[in-house]
Amino acid sequence: MHSLDFPQLASVEKIEQGFESYGYICSRKIATAVFLAFQLRKPVLVEGPPGVGKTELAKTIALLLDIPLIRLQCYEGLDEAKALYEWKYGKQLLYTQVLKEKLGDLLQGAHGLAESVAKLHKFGDIFYSEEFLEPRPLLKAMQQEKGAILLIDEVDKSDYEFESLLLEILSDYQISIPEIGTVKARTAPMVFLTSNNTRDISDALKRRCLHLYIPFPTVELEERIIRSRVPDVDEQLRHQLVEFVHSLRQLDLKKVPAISETIDWARSLLLLHAQQLDEELVRSTLNVLLKYEEDIEATDSELRALVRDGTITRQAV
Amino acid sequence: MQSSLVNFIQVLRTHDVRISPAETLDAVDVAASLGYANRSLLRDGLAMTLAKTQEEEVIFMHCFERFFQQDLADFSAAAIPANAQDSSPSTNAERLAADFTATQAAALQLAAETNPALQILMQTSLMQSLVGNDRTELTLAINHAAERMGLQQIQLFTQKGQFTRRILDALGEEHIRNAVIALELSESPALAVLQRYRDILREQVRDYVEREYLLHAEGKTRQFMDDILSKTRLNNIEHIYLYKVQELIRRMARKLASRHSRRRKLLKRGRLDMAKTLRKGIPNDGVLFNTFWRQVRKEKPQILAVCDVSGSVAAYAKFLLLFIYSLQDVLPEVRSFAFSSHLGEVSEYFEEFPVEKAIELVNWKYGGATDYGNSLMDFAKLAMEAINSNTTVIILGDARNNRGDPKLEILQSIYQRARQVIWLNPESRRAWGSGDSEMLRYQTACHFSAECNNLKQLERIVDQLLKSTR
Repeated sequence: MHSLDFPQLASVEKIEQGFESYGYICSRKIATAVFLAFQLRKPVLVEGPPGVGKTELAKTIALLLDIPLIRLQCYEGLDEAKALYEWKYGKQLLYTQVLKEKLGDLLQGAHGLAESVAKLHKFGDIFYSEEFLEPRPLLKAMQQEKGAILLIDEVDKSDYEFESLLLEILSDYQISIPEIGTVKARTAPMVFLTSNNTRDISDALKRRCLHLYIPFPTVELEERIIRSRVPDVDEQLRHQLVEFVHSLRQLDLKKVPAISETIDWARSLLLLHAQQLDEELVRSTLNVLLKYEEDIEATDSELRALVRDGTITRQAV
Repeated sequence: MQSSLVNFIQVLRTHDVRISPAETLDAVDVAASLGYANRSLLRDGLAMTLAKTQEEEVIFMHCFERFFQQDLADFSAAAIPANAQDSSPSTNAERLAADFTATQAAALQLAAETNPALQILMQTSLMQSLVGNDRTELTLAINHAAERMGLQQIQLFTQKGQFTRRILDALGEEHIRNAVIALELSESPALAVLQRYRDILREQVRDYVEREYLLHAEGKTRQFMDDILSKTRLNNIEHIYLYKVQELIRRMARKLASRHSRRRKLLKRGRLDMAKTLRKGIPNDGVLFNTFWRQVRKEKPQILAVCDVSGSVAAYAKFLLLFIYSLQDVLPEVRSFAFSSHLGEVSEYFEEFPVEKAIELVNWKYGGATDYGNSLMDFAKLAMEAINSNTTVIILGDARNNRGDPKLEILQSIYQRARQVIWLNPESRRAWGSGDSEMLRYQTACHFSAECNNLKQLERIVDQLLKSTR
């Protein structure tokens, strides 16, 4: 097993620049995490509210390094047959049927049961070789010649047992397959695990990972993100809409708008040729930001104050 | 630098951040690949390996700022008389300060020529760096002295003076003291100058000890406190500590919850369903490729908590309820009842209000003189039908019935129907049966009875409860 050298990951600043060229604006902390993950060959456990770009982070690195992104979406009941590997039962069955006739030839000249079995033993493991192995995402990530980005998405949705399954892979980059032995990674993949904190991740898993918490961005950072993602929105409107989203995040909502929603909203405002925010415009496009009817209703009464607040801060700036 | 990193991790541990040796190694790797030059970069990098949750990250940032404090102690500014600073414009202040130090040094030199004690002092490195205001040197000296004296072992605030003295001695402060005495005897004009140096040094060391105390002992003191609190009888706990106890209970509850929720999942899969496996294997020419498992069907267990909320036991009831409701994620269905003279179901309070508020309401509504007989009758009326072999009944009370009819037969019929009846009594076992206590009689109709008056016991019992309800 060897690790490749990526000049794109040589320093924290380089990573920041590289990300920016792919439209992913990140804080210094995120870049540090990526740098350390590469230097120390450690997986990163990314936590944070939904929609702050956890998955996007892994995708961007794959783009930046130009290596495949292998994604494993976790859910309750996910087991090793779907995550690690499975035997190609159908193929095994087919081959045994086809080879049935050959059996007679093979055993020719063997006297008695013991001798036949001894003869068979010579061919014993043919059906349990890599030929018959169906690699699932985790094994596939180990097999990549040039390395890969392995994204284990929403690991908190999986069961506790699955976490234990990950431990061997994450610390040694190898998988034990009882019939074959341990399969080592050709090149250690860079692993990102994301979690939405729906439950606590076990200590054993946490211990093996770097821990990165991505919070909602600051106003300044979010404006940069909008500028990079939706460049056509003019400066004034951009500031106004980001301020507005930030004030929405202060309210008690069922689901607060995330970055992805801010981007969507900026796009829809652009389509509507909006020059600046006003109450009517916000009300008619609020469903882009808020995904629950209760949230929209709760915000509705405070809309006037929120929009006015936004304009005041803009003037102050 | 590595040892200071290890010290830092020690500090984090005393602040309740759990860090394993493997993580320590990771931290060393992180520091090596990031370098020590950029402070905030190092901080973020270390935070990623050492702090595993958001709460821990807050603690980490707090400790980091304190531990790797950048500013060195200043030994000169304080030495300048206030008027010298005020009267001069800021641009001149520095030059003035330098002038001032120079005059002071000269004054000391002059006095030293006639005074042997002062002469010895002037040659010590301590005095030289003091006069020269060599801040790095002095800070280092204090650090070394503190290390030799084992300042990191500091645990109680009463030790602060002792450590300050020891560090001063290690720095060689006695030379200053001797010289001061000598100067006092000879009434030299240099006395005031030297005294000022002495005071500055003392002040700096005191500050240093104070900072280290906060860093190292704060966490230890808290652990000590938690330990004491969890062993104190719950009704003796002072009111101001109640919020601490609640926090402790929540922490215990979290611990138990994570331990028990895990095992429950493991039990979900049943045994191999051979018949189904065979049947499904027929299309594969009788080859059993897919295995099928018998699902274990479990009746949902249920807990009925019955709490005496009369004056003598109210404090305990409060904590038991707090505990049980903090465990709601792992515990099956919980219904709670409160009584003193009569009994009523209070589950809906807990559904509607936060736990603390609900407990207050319960105490207010049901508090009063105790009547176990009457309350048991009420309980039977309300809940007897719901009790079956999956029910655990927990009764918390002192069993002091004011010489009324205990109605033991009701408890006995509960005992026969329920999976288990647990009686928790805050009185010590020796007091059971004394005076108007009916505990010994009630005990005969319980699967398990225990003395329960502090958090440790409570935790043990709830742990047992969780084991038995699965």
